[in-house]
Amino acid sequence: MKSTPFVMIARYLLLDRITYLVLPWAWAAFGFVLDVVILKLTPAGHTSHRWVGGLAGVFIVVFVLGIQSVARALPFGLALGVSRRTYFLGATSLAAALAAGYGLVLALGQAVERATGGWGMNMGYFRVPYILDGSWYLSWLTASVTFLLMFAYGMWYGLIYRRLGMTGTLIFGAAQLSVLALAAVVATWVHGWAGLGHFFATISAAGVTAVLAVAAAALLAGGFATIRRLAV
Amino acid sequence: MPVISLAGVGRRYGRHDALAGVTADIGTPSITGLLGRNGAGKSTLLRILAGQEFATSGRVSVFGASPAENDAVLRRMILIREDQTYPDLRVHHMVRAASLSCPNWDAALAGTLLDAYELPSARPVKKLSRGMRTALGIVIGLAARAEVTLFDEPYAGLDAGAREMFYDQLLADYTAHPRCIVLSTHLIDEAAELLDHILVIDHGRVVLDAPADDLRGAGAVVTGPAGRVDRFIADRPTLSRRTLGGHATAVMAGRLDDRDRELADHLQLRLDRVTLQQLAVYAAGSRDRLDLTERETTR
Repeated sequence: MKSTPFVMIARYLLLDRITYLVLPWAWAAFGFVLDVVILKLTPAGHTSHRWVGGLAGVFIVVFVLGIQSVARALPFGLALGVSRRTYFLGATSLAAALAAGYGLVLALGQAVERATGGWGMNMGYFRVPYILDGSWYLSWLTASVTFLLMFAYGMWYGLIYRRLGMTGTLIFGAAQLSVLALAAVVATWVHGWAGLGHFFATISAAGVTAVLAVAAAALLAGGFATIRRLAV
Repeated sequence: MPVISLAGVGRRYGRHDALAGVTADIGTPSITGLLGRNGAGKSTLLRILAGQEFATSGRVSVFGASPAENDAVLRRMILIREDQTYPDLRVHHMVRAASLSCPNWDAALAGTLLDAYELPSARPVKKLSRGMRTALGIVIGLAARAEVTLFDEPYAGLDAGAREMFYDQLLADYTAHPRCIVLSTHLIDEAAELLDHILVIDHGRVVLDAPADDLRGAGAVVTGPAGRVDRFIADRPTLSRRTLGGHATAVMAGRLDDRDRELADHLQLRLDRVTLQQLAVYAAGSRDRLDLTERETTR
């Protein structure tokens, strides 16, 4: 039974089921328990929602999955006779499918969270104010796009590491910080901070999602450009 | 038509030429020995053939097309490397991965080979010994039954018994399913019987490219007292001459006829065949393309 190349790559990566399917949600469960313990230990105060940040861990795990998908698995994948292009598109397809699935888990978690009054303690674990606090399908979309973004970002880092080593990776990271710093300088220069603040204060969750989608596409393009001339 | 065709293939790393104009054709079915010293460029050449590395100059063609980023070509090839990076998974995962991607995968053969090398299929690849990792490569390389199968130093870390087993399995499977197999190695004489064709590279250049049959007996080693050895080799092409005390050893190119043998007998010199290993070493040392077969026919 031979599958199409993209599906083949996805199946190849999914040989590591623990990493790709269990690890993010094992981490989510751990973060959940940790947040429950913290909320039990701290006074409730008078807010109607107690936001916790444990969910961020899942997104970081997905970033690591992105690194993993190219750092360790790429050389053997190429040895088995696929092109870099096929490998990248296959890994990206898997990332998109995983992101959609994970987004759905998150949307489900939100539904349960709302139905149980924040797990009986006003906890906002699956919800993030403004960004992940709307209708289930919007939360699903935003979360999915964010998961894809994190995976793509991890892949690009992994590819840079494979191609340029530790030094190159550090320079790559430093370059991104420099761009941010430069943007801050420019914003100050043109007195743009107020405008920027206004932009972020008024942007809708759908708007955020669109911005994230554009960023994910840019990261994928960067990863693709990096893998094209990569030697293993 | 050759299945692999290289024309002036070069690979430059900074100021170092790993490959400097490699031109050669490899036909199918055949088992070609890619020989050369460490750093001669064997691995670079195989990686370029498998599309893992890119040539900086020249033309590489496999199945009539460039293998670089060409799925249609790459699907029909496999490269087994000694230094392969595997994902952090278990032996059976790697075998499964290969079965997913290789169109001619033979699961039964893979099972037989896993047993033969006593590979523990549930063990993480990271925990395998060097010899076991090598054996895993061999299992995948043979069971893949790719039309072009490239083995880069496939028996590093294997003991003599396991190597013998590999030669037998390779030959048996090749006989049943003839295909193009390229084997890079420096254990030349061990593999000599398997090889149809010999390609020796040195410093990124081809220094010998000939059918193995033409090379068997395409030279002789003469040993004896220095003066008499010199008399014997007087007007013959000599690849090397070494003296130790009054004793000399000379390697000559070309086949010997009966008169040569009589003369050697008369001078009480010892004549031995040149092994492929020795020829490869001389070829590598000569820096120019060695053409033993042509020299013989023009003589």
